[in-house]
Amino acid sequence: MPTTLIKNATLVDVNGLAESPSDVLISEGMIRKIGVGLVSPDGATEIDGSGCLLLPGLFDMNVHLREPGREDKESIATGSAAAAHGGVTGILAMPNTDPPIDTGGMVQSVRDLASKKSSVQLLTAGCLTKGREGKQMAAIAAMAEEGVYLLTDDPSPVADPQLLRRCMEYARQFNVRVASHCSTAALVKDGAMNEGPMAYQLGLPGMPAMAEELAIFRDIELARLTGCKLHIQHVSTVRGLDLIRQAKTDGLDVTCEVALHHLIFTDEAVVGYDTRFKMDPPLRTAVDRQALIAGVVDGSVDVLVSDHAPHTDFEKSADFNSAPFGVSALDFVLPVVNDRLITTGSLSWGAVIRSYVNRPREILGLEPVSVSEGSKADLVLFDPNARQTVSIEDFCSLGHNSPFIGESLQGTVRYVFVVGRMINFA
Amino acid sequence: MTDQPRRKDLLDIQSLSVDEVNGILDAAVPFKDLFKRSVKKVPTLKGKQVLTLFYEPSTRTKSSFEIAAKRLSADVTNFSVSTSSVVKGESVLDTIDTLQAMRTDYVIIRHQMSGVPEMIARHTDASVINAGDGYHAHPTQALLDAYTVRETFGEIAGRRILIVGDIKHSRVARSTSRILKMLGADVRVFGPGTLVPDDRPEWLQAFANWDAAFAWKPDAIYLLRVQRERQDDQFFPSVQEYHKFFGITAQRFARVRDEGIYIMHPGPVNRGVELVDAVMDYDRSLINQQVENGIATRMAVLYWLKPQSTPLPG
Repeated sequence: MPTTLIKNATLVDVNGLAESPSDVLISEGMIRKIGVGLVSPDGATEIDGSGCLLLPGLFDMNVHLREPGREDKESIATGSAAAAHGGVTGILAMPNTDPPIDTGGMVQSVRDLASKKSSVQLLTAGCLTKGREGKQMAAIAAMAEEGVYLLTDDPSPVADPQLLRRCMEYARQFNVRVASHCSTAALVKDGAMNEGPMAYQLGLPGMPAMAEELAIFRDIELARLTGCKLHIQHVSTVRGLDLIRQAKTDGLDVTCEVALHHLIFTDEAVVGYDTRFKMDPPLRTAVDRQALIAGVVDGSVDVLVSDHAPHTDFEKSADFNSAPFGVSALDFVLPVVNDRLITTGSLSWGAVIRSYVNRPREILGLEPVSVSEGSKADLVLFDPNARQTVSIEDFCSLGHNSPFIGESLQGTVRYVFVVGRMINFA
Repeated sequence: MTDQPRRKDLLDIQSLSVDEVNGILDAAVPFKDLFKRSVKKVPTLKGKQVLTLFYEPSTRTKSSFEIAAKRLSADVTNFSVSTSSVVKGESVLDTIDTLQAMRTDYVIIRHQMSGVPEMIARHTDASVINAGDGYHAHPTQALLDAYTVRETFGEIAGRRILIVGDIKHSRVARSTSRILKMLGADVRVFGPGTLVPDDRPEWLQAFANWDAAFAWKPDAIYLLRVQRERQDDQFFPSVQEYHKFFGITAQRFARVRDEGIYIMHPGPVNRGVELVDAVMDYDRSLINQQVENGIATRMAVLYWLKPQSTPLPG
């Protein structure tokens, strides 16, 4: 394995930025030494990290990779390359592929594909119900045996509470966390955006916040009843987050995540009927956005995710009602975090490390990663000042459904290390 | 009015200024006068191409536009849209490519999905006129309604207009309430709670019952069409109950007549649902006048958006 010496980079951990730059020596997939004035061993690659931050690689626990079945939208190779490009060294793939990941064999096959094709650490979630149809329990024990990391029907809720109760009672003994895309289908119906004055003005069918909140309440109560570990996916409303806070106060093992776009945009962004702003859960109000940011700051929000959901240009070129939900987000995770959340003062680097590096790995029971001697060398060398204008050519993802195309973002990923293996974006 | 185009497109009311709205309404007056003549045609748009693109069935609005364009001497083509191609997932962008290739001057579009005319307008050089999109907007209906109110009352400012019915799914309610409000009218709404959304603008107050609505002394009552086909998703128990509680019944019609309240409706009317038959013959029903004014205001819109292309030889 190659040896690399990164010189003069500012290290970042959960407490924020180090006061002065350091050198970091990487070999055999690990951080061997951290210090000042380190000398390159023979044959080592030396990288100048002046002016750059060296962060532990992010872990994104909500991404949609489309393989198998829709490799025209994304594949394991392109999606994982996009992750690396965005400073993400580990991802948890959602099981809504075609066919869905709902058996032990499917979990095994994703693992095999990942070992051949993935640029980053790739784990998979499995379905709660067979075929994500919400009718019968999926092969939970068999998937657990193959090392599934999370069980979810995302992007669908399990509508039948009795079935979800059974899934939780069953999953609990295999120690796998159940995750919920919280929505109440009957209240959402053909909804395309957040229900509210913007939807009225635009004449688009609304998705009321309470459709999500009711499902969050229900699923927390089922977790309370069954004792199953629960993860609430991409919570988007202030009242939803309050319900999760209360569950945590009550001592339940309930965790949650927020998607970056919910911290950045509101439903006002839909005004031009631009389908790149169509997500599920939908972009909510400014009040929700502020509450979610506060939740990340105070730690009530455990995890940040991209909810990367690539679609073809053709699919997204439909009218707003008909276009599919989702945003292609992995490629620019760190630049977006830096430009829209750090430089704006919304989040600190410490909060980002906690919620995008440490907590997801803790929740999934993975080896922790940090910029410290002896840690696995999953690292990102990030220039927080280099501006870039996002263009379609920059995407590793096959999905170009990103609201940031044409936007200027402050911050550029230079190098990414995945277990010591260097990927050069400089 | 000069011959300079104000805008490329007419997509909604919200993006127009009061001056622009008044400009269009003023331009409609001479066009309406034209209808009294034996020759109703003027050469204003001679050589211009108008394409109608209706993704949703509509006889009235489509005919109204067609007559308006023909009276301005434009060439009109009806682009027949098979609704099945929409179901098959034909991309709106594919349609736009087709339109670009046809090099038409105007595109008049109706679509069941909100926002589609805006999408098309962004991607074509032609002037796009929104003839109704989803629940979003129906700007020419709003203009003809404003024209009708102005013609009837002399002035719109200070008039009280009550809009009754399905506000939730109505592009007419959105656009007409907006234009009347812009021009100084007091607009309020009344209808079943399921169809009067709480997310409407604050200035659009709602009444709880007919008595309160009548007590407000409206100058005109604007009845919206009940969409029977929407009743698979229940918004009220039956059309009978709708008529009894939200329609102009015989009893309420007597009150309407006594108080001299005008009646408006965008058509087509569901007799026995929004109103009793007798209302159709009421001398203060403005419904037919709305249809006639629709042609004049649509002529004004076409004229107002007139593209600045090179004049034809000769």
